[in-house]
Amino acid sequence: MTDTTTSPTLLTAREITLHLTGLVLLLGLLGLWYWLSTGARVVPTLIEMLKDDDPSTRIVAAEQLGQIGPAAKAAIPQLLNQATQDGSQHANTTASAALKWIDLAAARRVMTHFATRLQDRDVQQRRTACAVLGSLGPVAKPAVPALLAATHDADALVRRNALIALAGIGIPPGPIGIALLAGLHDSSSLVRQTAVTQFAFTIPVSEDAAAALTAMLNDPDKGIATLARTALDKPKAGDAAHIESLGMMLGHSTARDYALHQLAQLGPAAREALTPILPLLDDDHPLIRYLAVETLAGMGQGAKPALVSLKQRRDSDPIVQAAMTDAVAALESGIAPSPVPAAGATPP
Amino acid sequence: MSSLTMGKSSRLRVLTRLGFWFTLLVGFLLPWAIMLGVDTWVHQVPFSRAWRSFTLHLFAPGYNLFLVGVLTAIPFVILAIMILLHLGTIDSQKALIAHRRALGLLSAEVVMLAIAGWTHISVLIYPDAQGALAYFYLPALLLLSLPVGYGLGRALAKALLPRVTT
Repeated sequence: MTDTTTSPTLLTAREITLHLTGLVLLLGLLGLWYWLSTGARVVPTLIEMLKDDDPSTRIVAAEQLGQIGPAAKAAIPQLLNQATQDGSQHANTTASAALKWIDLAAARRVMTHFATRLQDRDVQQRRTACAVLGSLGPVAKPAVPALLAATHDADALVRRNALIALAGIGIPPGPIGIALLAGLHDSSSLVRQTAVTQFAFTIPVSEDAAAALTAMLNDPDKGIATLARTALDKPKAGDAAHIESLGMMLGHSTARDYALHQLAQLGPAAREALTPILPLLDDDHPLIRYLAVETLAGMGQGAKPALVSLKQRRDSDPIVQAAMTDAVAALESGIAPSPVPAAGATPP
Repeated sequence: MSSLTMGKSSRLRVLTRLGFWFTLLVGFLLPWAIMLGVDTWVHQVPFSRAWRSFTLHLFAPGYNLFLVGVLTAIPFVILAIMILLHLGTIDSQKALIAHRRALGLLSAEVVMLAIAGWTHISVLIYPDAQGALAYFYLPALLLLSLPVGYGLGRALAKALLPRVTT
């Protein structure tokens, strides 16, 4: 203490150094806390949280596991249970959305479970099935025929959820676009509003859709008219600048899945983004690799330069490998991948 | 110029140390305290539930309350270092300058706390789709308000403090 009392300054150099060291320690502790609370290290804790009685805890845990991605494989059994058995629809959808980032095969198991429920006698089961299938995104592509059938369901909420699910899946864009176009003329204003919302924010606007949306600009429902305007103001499907910006977004991890999903829905027009798509075939996330393959397949002859590379690849994920085999077959035969029938099972 | 008495010098020394740690703690804890406070008093959520929700969303994607706190704390860390280096290194014989600097730093702290508090409360009470952007702009705004608040405090000190202190 002697140096303090005789110091020419308020604090001695030693005191200042000690305080700064304390600050560095505090920052280090905060960094350690963050490190221990994120990434694969927190998976065991999150698995425990999936067993919590409180649905909001299970929901947040599932969201965090989805963000961790393939490193959260240990959580698959618990997430499958939450996706298919949980009484809360939000818990079902968040668990399904997490699974698509962790393991595509597990996500497909959820899809199979709920695809059959689209014809359940219980209307709530059908509504939930649509919502869960939509949360799986493009991985639920095989469920598209059943969802197309659900767009003719007697219940408006089932039809609405089916349209949201179809927009969330996005591929193949042809039949999905037709179903959403039909949704613009649904007897329920809720379904019409949902359909126009998908054109405004989720799926590309085709020429047919643009014509229908133009007619909706004078809709007595101001909300629908505004959404139609938003959809029409969006960049057109073949807009070169739009495709270029989507291609640039592929380089950013946070926007990559959105950009790839948009490109996958553009079909042959996406060939302008071929160069930035090819490196994504080696991405760590199976979902990104799957979307990249689907985008290439949708390009048709525009993806011919990638054919040799696709044929030589062997993906560790069976779903990605199957998509790759289909894409190679389609590119070699010179036709687009097999279209999905517009009608499926009869609604209950 | 005047010398500080032993008592005043000792008080300023304690004030510097306390100011440093108070600024750091308040910088990190203010956003989190406001989140809990708004949930408890404005949204009438029982404290235990508000606490549970808060801890649940600390590292949750789309919320990341931990990073929100860290972002807000950055300017306060800079202010704390300023307190240490700008006030702590002053000649203990220069009482007037020490008091002017102390008032300048105190004023900067008050201005920054007012802006940070108002921003966090507004974002939580009037939620908006773009509201979270405020968390990204807030550190820059606080950094800008630091010299402004300091200048105000120095001006105030010049007007109020006597030229000679003993």
